[in-house]
Amino acid sequence: MSKVYTWDQLFSRRQFIKGSVAAGVLGTAAGIGLFRPESNLGQGKSDQAAVKGTKLVTTICEQCVWRCGVIARVEDGVVKMLEGNPDHPNNLGKLCPRGNAGIETLYSPDRIKFPLIRAGARGSGLWRRASWDEALSYTAEQMKKIKDKYGAKAMMFNSTDNLSQPFFEILLKAYGTPNYGTQRSLCFNSMTTGFLYTYGTPQPGTDFSKCKYMIFTGRNLAEGISNSETQEMIEMVARGVKVVVLDPRFSKTASKATEWLPVRPGTDSAFFLAMINVIIKEKLYNEAFVNQYTQGFEDLVTEVKDYTPEWAEKKCEIPATAIRRIALDFAEAAPAAIAHPNWRTSNFVNSFQTERAIAVLNALMGNWAQPGGLIPDQELSTLKLGVLSHPAFPIAQGIRLDGVPWQYPMVPLAYGVIQTMRDNILTGKPYEAKGWLISRQNPVLSIPERQKTINALMKLDFVAVIDIQASDTAYYADVILPESYYLERFDGLIPIKNKIFIRQPVVEPLYDTKSSLMIYKELADKLGLGEFLPFKDEKDLLSQQLKPFAVDLEELQRVGHYEMEDFQEDHSKDFEFQTSSGKIEISSGIMAQMGKKAVPTWNEPPRPEKDQYYLLTGKTAQHTQMFTQNNRWLLEVFPENRAWLHTSVAAKIGVKMNDNVVLESEVGKVSVKAYVTEGIRPDCIFMVGGFGHVSKGLKAAYGLGASDSALHKTITDPISGGSALSETFVTVSKA
Amino acid sequence: MELTWGLMIVIYLFTAGLSAGAMITSNLAFLYGGQEFERVSRWGAYLSPFPISLGLGLLVLDLGSPFNFYQLFLTLELSSPMSYGSWIILFFTLLSFGYLYLWLPQAYQKVGQTLQLERWKKRLAMLMPFLSIAVASYTGLLLNAAVRPIWDAPLLPILFLISALSTGVAAVIMISNLSPWKRARHKELHVLTKADAGLIILECLIILIMIVMGRSSSASESMAFSSLLVGNYVWVFWLLIVGLGLIIPLFMELMELKGKIPVKWVWPVTISSSFLVLFGGFFVRYVITYAGQTNSWF
Amino acid sequence: MTVRMGFVIITSRCIDCDACMVACRSENDVPLGHTRNWVKSSGVQGQFPRVSEMFQPGNCMHCDNPPCVSVCPTGASQKRSDGIVIVEDKKCIGCKYCLTACPYDARFSNSETGKADKCTLCLHRLEQGLEPACVQTCLGKSRQAGDLNDPSSVVSRLIAQYPTRILLKEVGTGPNIYYIDEAVPDIPDGK
Ligand code: SF4
Ligand code: SF4
Ligand code: SF4
Repeated sequence: MSKVYTWDQLFSRRQFIKGSVAAGVLGTAAGIGLFRPESNLGQGKSDQAAVKGTKLVTTICEQCVWRCGVIARVEDGVVKMLEGNPDHPNNLGKLCPRGNAGIETLYSPDRIKFPLIRAGARGSGLWRRASWDEALSYTAEQMKKIKDKYGAKAMMFNSTDNLSQPFFEILLKAYGTPNYGTQRSLCFNSMTTGFLYTYGTPQPGTDFSKCKYMIFTGRNLAEGISNSETQEMIEMVARGVKVVVLDPRFSKTASKATEWLPVRPGTDSAFFLAMINVIIKEKLYNEAFVNQYTQGFEDLVTEVKDYTPEWAEKKCEIPATAIRRIALDFAEAAPAAIAHPNWRTSNFVNSFQTERAIAVLNALMGNWAQPGGLIPDQELSTLKLGVLSHPAFPIAQGIRLDGVPWQYPMVPLAYGVIQTMRDNILTGKPYEAKGWLISRQNPVLSIPERQKTINALMKLDFVAVIDIQASDTAYYADVILPESYYLERFDGLIPIKNKIFIRQPVVEPLYDTKSSLMIYKELADKLGLGEFLPFKDEKDLLSQQLKPFAVDLEELQRVGHYEMEDFQEDHSKDFEFQTSSGKIEISSGIMAQMGKKAVPTWNEPPRPEKDQYYLLTGKTAQHTQMFTQNNRWLLEVFPENRAWLHTSVAAKIGVKMNDNVVLESEVGKVSVKAYVTEGIRPDCIFMVGGFGHVSKGLKAAYGLGASDSALHKTITDPISGGSALSETFVTVSKA
Repeated sequence: MELTWGLMIVIYLFTAGLSAGAMITSNLAFLYGGQEFERVSRWGAYLSPFPISLGLGLLVLDLGSPFNFYQLFLTLELSSPMSYGSWIILFFTLLSFGYLYLWLPQAYQKVGQTLQLERWKKRLAMLMPFLSIAVASYTGLLLNAAVRPIWDAPLLPILFLISALSTGVAAVIMISNLSPWKRARHKELHVLTKADAGLIILECLIILIMIVMGRSSSASESMAFSSLLVGNYVWVFWLLIVGLGLIIPLFMELMELKGKIPVKWVWPVTISSSFLVLFGGFFVRYVITYAGQTNSWF
Repeated sequence: MTVRMGFVIITSRCIDCDACMVACRSENDVPLGHTRNWVKSSGVQGQFPRVSEMFQPGNCMHCDNPPCVSVCPTGASQKRSDGIVIVEDKKCIGCKYCLTACPYDARFSNSETGKADKCTLCLHRLEQGLEPACVQTCLGKSRQAGDLNDPSSVVSRLIAQYPTRILLKEVGTGPNIYYIDEAVPDIPDGK
């Protein structure tokens, strides 16, 4: 019988000292043979320990999903400094705080250092060490058992955006399940579906460099950092470009903007519909563009007739004069003007309509494929990697647990509705789910109603998690397959325009961990699906991806990227819209087909009752979703989330800065410190997401702040599948 | 707010002043009082080396690199009060032990001949007041040089000097009164008490001037001083320093001088008043060290 | 002419992301609980909805008349001929006098070394021809460093072009961080 460990024994509390990884991670008392000799811990495998001197290794950051280029400085086998790669278009040589803090995650004492198999009740925090062979065999066995007994559909696969995601998708398709969950419906579904149904492309680019007028409604680039885009935003502000921010909260982006409009939550579409109203009434739209590239203009004219700025003022509480002025100025600047597509606007059920109104507003002004406007899909003009040749996938049997398309006919298949998937685990409808394989995703903290997600995990027969750290979801798993940190591994290659970039190990893995590529591959082997991921090791796979290009892997590793010479950007398809009509659909064919109003329209959002407040969530520049809170360097600059209260609200309940307050919604209750400010609407409470971890394996982050997912109600937009997070209302009281 | 210099430094400042004060008391009593003041001179000499040694010990413990301590004595940085102050204190402490030796009963004086020793006692007694004044005012210069609100008050060295003398006198009164052996005589005590009362009055004046000057200076300075008068340190300042440390002992001493205290109460009153002076002196260092750090420029 | 190293910080370009703070920690092994540089916020000023907020990055100002250097009892704190103020660890006894003397609170006592610690202007990077870590990573190009005496340096050019201010002028330390609050559309070329 092997020894059983608690989280406390698994992770030491030792302080991290760069260059001399806290030794004795498990403590000497915990057992023998668990670790490599102490002297090796800091330097990785023995061949590397021998490496003296300084070397620079080029790789790609994974502290968020933006994929910035990194140059790592390794001294005597220890990573000392990460710097931005000036050759990388995603960050132009700069790293954000999270990127800069990668080293702390690498050398964190809280890393999972070898495969773990649960040794007590689920969620008890009792584990035993397993070999990779055992852990993978066990996982494969369970997965096979589920498939044999209930069919492949009873097994769910989840992952978020990452470089090896395509290979995870191969694995799940080979396994044959229709059930795949991503983060998308919690994030940007309303933006992507809104634009997809208008332009036929989910996420057009934005030309900040020439833009003369920008409206942000849910893109907070100073705090939701997308490195290069954030830099572009700063440059734009420095150039004196008009930047209008609609946000109920005075974000840091708002502090940089020329105008902050504290819009009533959920009413942004009234603002945009009124802008459209003004632009049509004043005949300011680009008639030639509208005639040539769009369809449905007449219907729009009828629809927006009554959406006057005065009407909108009553809805969104932005003065009619301001709306009119902004409409005129925006039109004046067009086509070098952008109403930004935003990101996570999916905060109300009507956000889809907001996004449609934004998409249509840009179309009316012809802000498309022009300097300073929206940029057609960039994916089309990007190098294409070599693909693995594998047998045809089996046909997935059964309908999807996430309700796409049978419950949500309009949600694009690739996006899914993860919150419904979770709900259906609990209801057992339309069938019982039995197993869950989750790769680098943390549904416990990301999906609304945390308790429900935990209950869903408890209900399943089998849960396996692949992650670099003991996330809250891993905490409830049966098996944890520890992934190497990004500085220790390869991932799939990433082409950006005319360049191909590589993520590669900067140091050898410090512990007994593997890349997700190899975890997927070896799991496929154990499942008898090895032929679907036909590669020997990571290098073999990357070589296959590189086949179409005149460069070998070694060269790519040395330089860090490959640049295709005389590469021509393809703009021939800029005005070929992948919609059913082939035009920009002001009036959406699909919406019409579904019997819905085809042009952007006003849907009244719910409002909080007396003594209730809108609960808003958002980002901070110092953390990534729920992934980085355990990083102590980042905790130094952002130690915990607080509830933003307007001064008048704080006075009413008798709360001062940093006093504890209790927030309570229909589904949950949390206690969190107050941040009292004039920078928020008095009817709103804001908190940064991602705190309030329940995993005791995240020693630094455990117990810090509170989780918004404990408060969020599960409300889904039936059109886009987006989770309407801000339709959760809370009460607040002094703790 | 995190404090850079904490209690250790307060104790150091206090003990250095105390030792210097006790030393001067002894020196002057010896030089001008002769045999009549033999007892207080003796007690001052016995007392003087110890507080400062304790303070020095704490100071070294408070260093980030205590074993690097010797670096202080490899150089003399004239711009740094800590540098010349350390040298002064070094000499003061060494000599104060020498002075103590000279005051030991003959039975314990193993080296040197009585006559010579007596001569040295006189010489030292003439030198030590200068060193003592240097030590006592150095503690003010130390804070002066770190240009912070309150710390940069020009009168600070004088305040610390006066407070040092006052605590030194009070300590001598206390010890020579507590001791069963060589207990001070009434006359000695009377003069000391008189001196102490004078010093307390002087101290009150200086504090008053400092506050007036501070309040009429820059906004940062003025804010810092108001933290004493009405802010964070209001209790320490008014109750512990002004009330318990200055007014009450002054009152007691004046009563004593006027002979208004019934005989059986004299002894406890003397002890308490001198204790209160020490107590107040400590909190003067405390309040200035702390308030100077919790306030900064803006 | 002699070299006089210093910074220009453009507050209008700072978004308070704190990348500079993390980069400095990483580059200089700054222990948890302390920092060599910072970004201070004015807090949200004004009344809803007419509010504003300003961010002011900072670090040691490498002062012309550094009180931290003059009070140092062992000569460990020094001002180099190029203007950079450093601490020579070997001589530092950890008395923390310099910490109290710095009006900008730019120093801390490093619990791992027992020495006074502060911004070195990333001297070791300058020697290799690199920019200081905080400057290198700054997303807003808000932090700039260079030779204030060289008219062709970025910092001199910025100072020549825009109004600047220094902090706590009245204390007389002669700080060498020049702040620009105006919008700066282009960062000039220069070393
Ligand atoms: S900012 Fe402080 S530490 Fe830096 S040189 Fe000036 S006084 Fe010294
Ligand atoms: S110059 Fe270097 S040491 Fe100074 S604040 Fe910047 S990164 Fe830190
Ligand atoms: S890195 Fe630049 S933009 Fe970010 S906080 Fe620091 S100074 Fe400001």
